[in-house]
Amino acid sequence: MKITLFEQAPYRYLADDFEKKYESCNSTPYSVTTSDGVYSSMRDFMDELMVAARSGYDGLAVTEHAQSSYDMVANPDLVASALAYMTETEALDVAIFPMGRSLGKAREPVRVAEEYASIDVLSGGRLVAGFPIGLHYDASINNGIPPIEIRPRFDENLELILRAWNDPEPFVHNGRFFQYPQVNIWPRPLQPRVPVWITGIGNPRTMQMCLERNFGFNYLSWFGAKLTGKRIFDRFWEIADQVGVPRNPYRLGFTQTIAVAETDEQAEKDYARHLEYAFQKGLGSIPAQKLAMPGGIDIRGVQALVKDPGDFGLYNQMRTATFRDLVDAGVVICGSPATVYEQVREFCSQYGIGTLHAMLGFGSLPRDLAMKNIQLFAQEVAPKLRELWSDTDHANHWWPQRLGGDPTPVTPGVGATEDTPASSTTVKAKVAVK
Amino acid sequence: MTTTKEEFGPSITEEAVSVWNGKLTIRAKIAGAGPPLVYLHPANGLRWDLFLSHLAQSHTVYAIEFPGTSAGDPYAIHLIDSLADMVLAYEEVLRSLGLERPVLVGQSFGGMLAAELASTFPTIASKIVLLSPLGLWREDLPIARWLEAAPEEMATLLFHDPAGAAAQSMLALPEDPDIAAAAIAAQTWATGATAKFCWPIPDRGLRGRIHRVSAPVLVVWGKEDSLVPVGYADEWANEISDAQVAVIDTCGHIAQVEKLDETIEKVDAFLVGNS
Repeated sequence: MKITLFEQAPYRYLADDFEKKYESCNSTPYSVTTSDGVYSSMRDFMDELMVAARSGYDGLAVTEHAQSSYDMVANPDLVASALAYMTETEALDVAIFPMGRSLGKAREPVRVAEEYASIDVLSGGRLVAGFPIGLHYDASINNGIPPIEIRPRFDENLELILRAWNDPEPFVHNGRFFQYPQVNIWPRPLQPRVPVWITGIGNPRTMQMCLERNFGFNYLSWFGAKLTGKRIFDRFWEIADQVGVPRNPYRLGFTQTIAVAETDEQAEKDYARHLEYAFQKGLGSIPAQKLAMPGGIDIRGVQALVKDPGDFGLYNQMRTATFRDLVDAGVVICGSPATVYEQVREFCSQYGIGTLHAMLGFGSLPRDLAMKNIQLFAQEVAPKLRELWSDTDHANHWWPQRLGGDPTPVTPGVGATEDTPASSTTVKAKVAVK
Repeated sequence: MTTTKEEFGPSITEEAVSVWNGKLTIRAKIAGAGPPLVYLHPANGLRWDLFLSHLAQSHTVYAIEFPGTSAGDPYAIHLIDSLADMVLAYEEVLRSLGLERPVLVGQSFGGMLAAELASTFPTIASKIVLLSPLGLWREDLPIARWLEAAPEEMATLLFHDPAGAAAQSMLALPEDPDIAAAAIAAQTWATGATAKFCWPIPDRGLRGRIHRVSAPVLVVWGKEDSLVPVGYADEWANEISDAQVAVIDTCGHIAQVEKLDETIEKVDAFLVGNS
């Protein structure tokens, strides 16, 4: 089992009545902040990631959310590049895992290829490249993309980026959305096969794409793993069987919010209100109509979700969810090291999860408690958890070679858009370079 | 392929028109008799209503379904990527149907499409009726961001009196949960398909082209339109050489539903007049 620290950079000092006062955490006026508050929220976030790197985590994972008070990481590659260099100077063998640049949103896909290539070089070949398809509010409101174009753009951009990394010759890209007379990026990734992961919330088409094309799949379980886990993971492995790929746990990642203290009582005392802050003022304060915009979900998906919204778990109650609600739904796992180990292990072994993204800083959690959570988890929980799957023959094909992985090539398969042919879309003509 | 069904009176047939070198099928619902009238529907898809049934008493109404909004063919939306190409495809549809200088009627998004069509092909229509059209933008007259509106918010964006009988008749969902889910999915997808050409700002350069519209234009607006403010009515009148404006009191964005009689009165007067 691989274990990363996953963190967002929330603004930690929102008023108690934030979620009652503001329509969403995606339209919060910046005037609620102070410069000290912004600085310390961001500085602590970086320091926590570095403490994790020094505490033996296998990876550091961050992601992209623009114009949002619950995560001030507008471009995860800026954070990841700082971490790449810092960890390299300290000789820390930790994966740098932006989960990452949304390709349904990106209007400069070649720049995304360049950023990731730079991170791989800065880290000496420790990049794990995550590509979310794109949250609707982020792609369509923050970046003006019509929601119905999110998936077609993702498909074009991903193909273009993979080719920009791998094609030894300069090439022309004549796409639906982008045209480049020459693509010949410098630098290229050090890794001959950069592990590629796609982040999603359960769309079967996305899963099929990951399984056919040999991408890892990250499931973000914000909606409550006890409510959604069985649906999502059973679906994933059933599609794996249909596609005909082995049920290798290392291809499946799972993001879980975790809070650990000396005892169950102490954990609740330390973390409960910060967890409530995280979800009431974070995901709970993203209105549904900003997460599911017309055209962004396939027509059959909308029909299925209207009849059975189960994939969204606790989401509709999250704005007022109490600590107990969050625990009961599995949105968070909170307790002593033994409690946390038992619950996480049970869940990961039940559903075949080989990559855990442990979210150990969250909401208003202050620096000292975040450090405690990260270090206690590293010392008391992670070592035993890491043994999971070590008795199997599965190789980890979705992890950098320098860190013990055995990456295998991306394979042909369907794209993320329904009713479109298998990629690739890129024109194969080569540019004559003098 | 032709199917017939009864709704609100007239017998409606459907015709599938193959355009774009055979790659795209665009469907039209057709009813009535008389000179041709092309109706372009709003963002959430075609709904045959009493206004169209009324128009079918004096015209042959061709209500054209935007690509991606026809039942069973949702991915047609991916076949055309630019508004300019979509306008050409619509011109092909009108030509294939053999419609010579029809009346063009467009509501909201359909109004924008009608104006784009008439800007590109100034002689395509004999007269044009624009019902609360999208298409122009003024920063001091914000158009509601309908794509991120909650369902309950949508009703107040569309109607001055969302609780009124007219509004309720349009907003009501089928009782059968399966049929209701399919209807919600179809309307949601239609809203996404049309947004491809009017999101994030519902002005794709029409302001620069609109002077080319030469047919007489009637602009109809609900005075209390919460989606596209009535202030735009004068914008349209100022940009088009032969335009007249009719503002309807105590009326929201969907005048043809909320104030059917008044809308019919204005439109009929315009269509029979000599302007």
